[in-house]
Amino acid sequence: MNDFARRSASYSQLISAMSDALARGDEAAFDAAAWTLEGEHESPMRSGVRRVAGELQAALDQFGKSSRLVDLAERDVPDARQRLAHVLKLTDEAAHRTLDLVEQSQPMADALARRSEELLKQPEQGHSPATLVEFLKTTASTANEIRARLDEVLMTQGYQDISGQIIRGVMKLVNELEGALAELIEIGGLRPANASSRVVSPDTLQGPIVPGVQHIAPVAAQIDVDALLSGLGM
Amino acid sequence: MSSPHLGCLEGRLDARKDLNFLVVDDFSTMRRIVKNLLHDLGYANVTEADDGNTALPLLKAGNFDFLITDWNMPGMAGLDLLKHVRADERLKKLPVLMLTAEASREQIVAAAQAGVSGYVIKPFTAAVLKEKLEKILAAQPAKAG
Repeated sequence: MNDFARRSASYSQLISAMSDALARGDEAAFDAAAWTLEGEHESPMRSGVRRVAGELQAALDQFGKSSRLVDLAERDVPDARQRLAHVLKLTDEAAHRTLDLVEQSQPMADALARRSEELLKQPEQGHSPATLVEFLKTTASTANEIRARLDEVLMTQGYQDISGQIIRGVMKLVNELEGALAELIEIGGLRPANASSRVVSPDTLQGPIVPGVQHIAPVAAQIDVDALLSGLGM
Repeated sequence: MSSPHLGCLEGRLDARKDLNFLVVDDFSTMRRIVKNLLHDLGYANVTEADDGNTALPLLKAGNFDFLITDWNMPGMAGLDLLKHVRADERLKKLPVLMLTAEASREQIVAAAQAGVSGYVIKPFTAAVLKEKLEKILAAQPAKAG
């Protein structure tokens, strides 16, 4: 049986069913037969659209199975947020610890300098041996205390190694995310014609200057800021 | 005691060591660095706030002589704080130094138009901070009393 013969038999049955339903006044049966007939006799355009939709769905299904986008969105991105928060905490702690040690050392150095200046103001012969010995003892112990704090400042900089490793991991994740999103954009044909041109509002704060990623040209240095303000009459 | 590296602001400025400073920055380390530098310059009266929303009530309630503020902060940003200060009858003449990583020409111009007294970009040196403070204070009338 060829295709038209098969369809003819089906059409004949459906037309009879519609005719019977009409005669009976059975609206539901008439509609059901009419929808079926319409479905069987759909236009080439509709079947084409259906095919394309099916193919897109298959591509998306395949993408869903092979892509890490879901994993990235559900697990890795929140992880990355936590990792970056940890970097923030590490840098904050290291900076505060360094400031603690500097603030402890400053008065020690100041006291030593002050005592030295006092002794220098007196005539040389005015210093008793006991005074000099006392000063030298204080100098030695203060120097040792400052030295111990400098050693700790040195060790505190170890945060850079840990935070560097964490940031590298997040950079790897951003790369993966970029790849997965690019794949999705390609499948969906979502890329707009002007996708490459990025509009940055002049009100957007740029934050610290990062070479290669500034979208608004920064002034070069404090001297340029001063020149600019001077030009504005400040 | 003044740091031998920074030295004291001399003469006229020495008479102003009782000035009250408000330092506004969302990062506590930066507040601490600025506070230390101010102490080195002989200014012991330094109060801290972490954004414009916490700074503004302090400014309105307190008797501050100088405001040093960051720009990019959650809550109220430094530029908005500056605009509030300039719009307030009692605070409008307060010296305001912007200490920020924002370095675009448009932003510097915007800060100038809003009435900033000085603008220092991060990272900055102690010498630059001292120079700007000195310049701004030199242009101010002496503190009453």
